[in-house]
Amino acid sequence: MITWLEAIGMRVERVCLLAGIYPMLLLQVIQRLYRPPWFFSHILSQCEKVGVQSLPVVLLTAIFTGMVLALQSWVGFHRFGAESMVSTVVSLSMVRELGPVLVGLMVAGRVGASFAAELGTMRVSEQIDALWTLSTDPLRYLVMPRIIAVTLMMPLLVVLADAIGIFGGYLVSTIVLDQNPQVYIERATLFLELQDLYSGLLKALVFGGIIGLISCTEGFYCKGGAQGVGQATTRAVVLSAMSILIADYFLTVWIFQ
Amino acid sequence: MSDPQIQVCHLNKQFGDKIILRDVNLKVMPGESHIIVGLSGTGKSVLLKCILGLLQADSGQILVDGEDWSCLSEREKLKRMRGIGMVFQGSALFDSLPVWENVAFVLLRQGMQKKEAREHAEEVLEKVGLPHVCDKMPAELSGGMAKRVGLARAICHRPRIIFYDEPLSGLDPVMSDVITRLMRQLHEEMQVTSLTIAHNMKLVRDFGDHVSMLYQGRIHLQTPASQLDLQDDPIFRQFVEGRASGPLDINHLTAQGSQI
Repeated sequence: MITWLEAIGMRVERVCLLAGIYPMLLLQVIQRLYRPPWFFSHILSQCEKVGVQSLPVVLLTAIFTGMVLALQSWVGFHRFGAESMVSTVVSLSMVRELGPVLVGLMVAGRVGASFAAELGTMRVSEQIDALWTLSTDPLRYLVMPRIIAVTLMMPLLVVLADAIGIFGGYLVSTIVLDQNPQVYIERATLFLELQDLYSGLLKALVFGGIIGLISCTEGFYCKGGAQGVGQATTRAVVLSAMSILIADYFLTVWIFQ
Repeated sequence: MSDPQIQVCHLNKQFGDKIILRDVNLKVMPGESHIIVGLSGTGKSVLLKCILGLLQADSGQILVDGEDWSCLSEREKLKRMRGIGMVFQGSALFDSLPVWENVAFVLLRQGMQKKEAREHAEEVLEKVGLPHVCDKMPAELSGGMAKRVGLARAICHRPRIIFYDEPLSGLDPVMSDVITRLMRQLHEEMQVTSLTIAHNMKLVRDFGDHVSMLYQGRIHLQTPASQLDLQDDPIFRQFVEGRASGPLDINHLTAQGSQI
């Protein structure tokens, strides 16, 4: 009786400890934001890795999503003669929802995995300890630039993904579905409000923070050898993806209110 | 007699219910080369990490130059690290930086111009016998070369104390001798204090001034290196002679080590 109660207690304690390291790391990073050094060159190089190097995968995802969305919504709207609303659906869906979520998932897979694997490898090969002995704060040098970079780059990637997604819908509507290009452009912007764009960008900012925090925490506190790095990387991607979807719901509810 | 440069007082550390260090007391005098020996899993590296602040001790004091490091904030500890050099067991070179930037890491962080820092790095690399590897990446180096680059990185900013964590592990006997000679030469040239974790008795004899044996989490024995062979403690003798049979509780240590 006591044994399984103990086992449950230990599990609960472990989950609480694991859950506690995310806010702890976030707090430590925030504390460091106010004092130099900020390692601007590192932030820039991470921005390049997160932003520029993610462009192909993000844009490819966005254009095909926009194209599929146009086709699918045309099928529905065609049934009651509202084909001209295709572009409205594509633009609203991309800007409010699909842009931030899909870019978030893509960046979680590409960048989150890379952060966790890099930091995890540095941890198990004692490179993080070496930084400390070289009078350098590892959180400031490694973690802070990564979290800042992914948080700043996500909104930019989302803006581009939104534009390319809407363009994908335009291609399908005009070439495949033979719609009037002028009508597509008009309807795409007619019902799109600035608040839609803001809500998408806010989501992108939050998702960027989530990816940075989870993947850096998993890598930074990684234990064990190659297996530990593998597990940290997997956890980083899965937890980031799940957290993005959960946060998306709550942000949407909040924005609706 | 001068004060110890490093002093560890009543240090305790445990992971979960495993006690790793119990009431460890240690003194390292200025300019001394002190070596800590002991079987794998006895807590030697944990002791070193506690001294360096990489691990938080559960209780006890760590005094460096008379200052209690266990009371310092992270920021203050980082500042004190400028006087410290550390050679890691696996070299721990930064994969993403070329050799010279690894070596001159602290200098570059302190704001030195790249050209000047590179010249310093080249000088130090020449000291460790690797004048032509400046632009190589760490992945291109052999184990022995990486160890020497690690040593160059540890001494480039002229520290007062150098810590070595098993500096000869994974090296062949010839390369081990090269590194040992280099350590001795640098120790004498720079007049630094050294604290080394080692298994290798040849390193202990060639490099150590003073030896402490860590056993079951405690300092079991301390002796000047010159009197190694005069010690008649059976546990110490078994370790020095490298015998499998004897009073050393090998099973207990191995089980504890695997937990760490």
